[in-house]
Amino acid sequence: MKVIMSKFLEASKSDIRKLIENLSEDFNYVSVLGTDSHGKQYRVQKTGISVQDSFWNERGFVVRIHNGINYSELSFNNISGQNMDGFAAEIKQKVKSELAEIKKSKNINGYPLIKEEKIKEEFIGEVDASNKEINDKDIIGKLIKLKDKAFLNSKLLVDFKLNFQQVHVSKIFLSKNKELTQSYIWSEGSILPIVRDENSTKFNYAGASGLKGAELLDELDEKIENCIYTAEKLLKAKPVKPGEYETICSPEVSGIIAHEAFGHGVEMDMFVKHRAKAEEYLGKQVASELVTMHDGASAAHNVSSYLFDDEGVIGKDTVVIHKGILKAGISDMLSALKLNTEPTGNGKRQSFERKTYTRMTNTYFASGNDELSDMIASIKDGYLLERPMSGMEDPKNWGIQCMVNYGREIKNGKLTGNIVAPIVLTGYVPDLLKSISMVSKEVLLEGTGACGKGYKEFVKVSSGGPYIKAKVRLG
Amino acid sequence: MIERIKAILDSFKPGGYKIIESKISSEERFFIKKNLDMSRSKKVQHFKVTIYKDFEENDVKYRGSSTFDVHPTNTDSEIEKLVEDNYFAAGFVKNEYYELPEKSEEKGKEIRSKFSGKALNYWMPKLAEALYKEDHKEKGGINSAEIFLNKIYKRIINSKGLDVNFEVYNGMIEFITFWKAQEEIELYKMLTFSDYKPELVEKAVKELLFLSEKRAAAEETVASGKYRVILGDTAVKEVLSYYVYNSDAEAVYNKISNLKSGESVQGKNVSGDLISLKLDPQLENSIYSAPYDNDGVLLNKVNVIEDGIIKEYHGDFRHSNYLKVKATGSINNVIISGGSKTIEEMKNEPYVELISFSDFQTDVLTGDFGGEIRLGFLYDGNDIKPITGGSLSGNIKDIQNNIYLSKEAEDYGGFVAPKAIEMFNVSIAGK
Repeated sequence: MKVIMSKFLEASKSDIRKLIENLSEDFNYVSVLGTDSHGKQYRVQKTGISVQDSFWNERGFVVRIHNGINYSELSFNNISGQNMDGFAAEIKQKVKSELAEIKKSKNINGYPLIKEEKIKEEFIGEVDASNKEINDKDIIGKLIKLKDKAFLNSKLLVDFKLNFQQVHVSKIFLSKNKELTQSYIWSEGSILPIVRDENSTKFNYAGASGLKGAELLDELDEKIENCIYTAEKLLKAKPVKPGEYETICSPEVSGIIAHEAFGHGVEMDMFVKHRAKAEEYLGKQVASELVTMHDGASAAHNVSSYLFDDEGVIGKDTVVIHKGILKAGISDMLSALKLNTEPTGNGKRQSFERKTYTRMTNTYFASGNDELSDMIASIKDGYLLERPMSGMEDPKNWGIQCMVNYGREIKNGKLTGNIVAPIVLTGYVPDLLKSISMVSKEVLLEGTGACGKGYKEFVKVSSGGPYIKAKVRLG
Repeated sequence: MIERIKAILDSFKPGGYKIIESKISSEERFFIKKNLDMSRSKKVQHFKVTIYKDFEENDVKYRGSSTFDVHPTNTDSEIEKLVEDNYFAAGFVKNEYYELPEKSEEKGKEIRSKFSGKALNYWMPKLAEALYKEDHKEKGGINSAEIFLNKIYKRIINSKGLDVNFEVYNGMIEFITFWKAQEEIELYKMLTFSDYKPELVEKAVKELLFLSEKRAAAEETVASGKYRVILGDTAVKEVLSYYVYNSDAEAVYNKISNLKSGESVQGKNVSGDLISLKLDPQLENSIYSAPYDNDGVLLNKVNVIEDGIIKEYHGDFRHSNYLKVKATGSINNVIISGGSKTIEEMKNEPYVELISFSDFQTDVLTGDFGGEIRLGFLYDGNDIKPITGGSLSGNIKDIQNNIYLSKEAEDYGGFVAPKAIEMFNVSIAGK
């Protein structure tokens, strides 16, 4: 079933065109991104239910203007009854007074004009036809059923939280040469059992995501039993003895390593600021020959797959690392202009109200040739790491930190059934990536949650990979 | 617009409704080194609407709700459809019944700010000047920075006649410092503020440059093991947030928190300092200061924990209603009292002082905390050596009966707390 493009944005195009034409009389580059994204978030837990609009809801515009030296932007969301000529005059006055302020200072970064090829394209996504028949009652009903099923599974459950959200994204990008339109739906869901015994409280987590609709709820259903079983085992888990271990990282942990260890490090707005060590390593070996890493809106089919980014650049599949050699970074438009490189369709905003930065899309390690069973058999004393909780980048100094919910103990090539928790995984990125010695065949991506730049500017991304065997420091 | 939304809501005769209107204008400046890289501004209006539906099952009364956004560009027919859909959804949200807050005769205190005296763009060069005042070192400086200043008007109304409004300022400066020694390193800081206090911005830059110089000199971490740790900077806030979360009425109602009014929050046989926690909705220079919360509840100071004992839960109107306690409203400004030792006294014996982490985190459910060390200091009894790398991990429940809080306080941005915590036998994964 085809997704329906926002009627509001379609209807706004003529007004926005007028605004661009008017502003273009005074400025050499003008573009407008229009957004109309709507989603609902459903939360069910033991003590209550919540239904609210998604964090990702937005409806508004951002105009970008080359002010003669660099770029100025204005975000706005009320064009109802606006006289576009009057609004254009207001914007002109604002940008010109900003320019006067800029000219007073010697400390200015200049940017060249954005050059655009003529292009008109549209992407309309598809979801399972059954979604048309599903309403709030069905979704809440299904989530309640899953919660009740969970409580039948465990007497130690204090709470069982379920989250599901479905977001319908619609965007237009208009400039003198570009007319781009896209509309698609992504969904994500998660389950979080909280268990307690006389000594402690622990939780576990499982998620699912994709360019799909409510069919995702069935995927969550399949994960309940195992997720609760592991949560109960966590009550008896011991802390890991700090040290360096041979480990196998699950696809989710591989994903967070790809994302934190190298993804953030090749965001090329960091190259402009000389904040990324990766800048010095282009063309050099940074990982084991078994490592190939991709990022791109068209590199995979998940929550960050789109036709064009928030600067009107068509999404690509960038091979960041090929057989251990750092090949390329990912880039937004303005960083590419500064670095004299090609933008890669990675210019993303949290919403029309925020600035564009270079951001990841779908980031993952490519598959290898090993079997998981052989990987486990190859480890004498180590852990199989599962369920990453968070991570933090350090592109300048190539440190990595990932909080992992637990590790399954491996002794003499076998899983012992014991688990350790919680785990702080740290290390030096090239050491970690060069230590990768086995890579499994199947790649899995997940896009629950959000990625921040520092501690703000959240965007949807997915990340993943195969199982990888690597040497890491655990604490 | 708000009258249009009200009229449509009334036509559905719901159990109740709430509308939060926000008008936000902002100025934003982005710098690379000392150069202005981009200017941005924003002028937006948002409406967040909650519609309530009351129903009964087996003689038990429930109140369902659904919350949705109305955009200023929504047509009447779009708003009608939104209200209809959300009223339908609210009918399946089977939550224990609760009341909505009533109109209060008492007026909330105005949140004063110097920013109100001039237009937002007037303050941009002033804030930039404060930011770069201390940036004159040879080997280090500010790599990049972002300045945001928002003016926010908020109005909250509900179906019980409550109608309050206020204006606040929300400022933020994010900056990265670098220092070049054998290798160039960087550190990160996010400052938030609601008033113009250039001296605090200058101080923050000076301190981060000092720490950057130290990190550049740090070469290795400590050996793996258990240490007496003096935890500093924002990690202190992260650890102590455990007590804020666990004294919240919602966590207590959901039985996630076991803390009971009148009982100790730190367990039995506490030999270290006792936690005292207050909430202050008017805290100076905090972006969280407000006269009312998002339910329109008038906010006043609250004494939550005193000498380790829970005095009063804090929380929103709904969950306080469920617990049958007075609703304090949601207050996000925290004050945790200082303890019995000065930082100098904490440093009398060998220690590991940890100042900066990649991303220090505390899991408020389990009490687990940890993070990768970016900068610390090891005192072995003779010398003080800067360290970097490795990670700290622990659980607040395991150590809380023997921690010491510094007498010196720090404002972490809406969270005033001791500048340092002394903790014993904490695990560091080092070399």
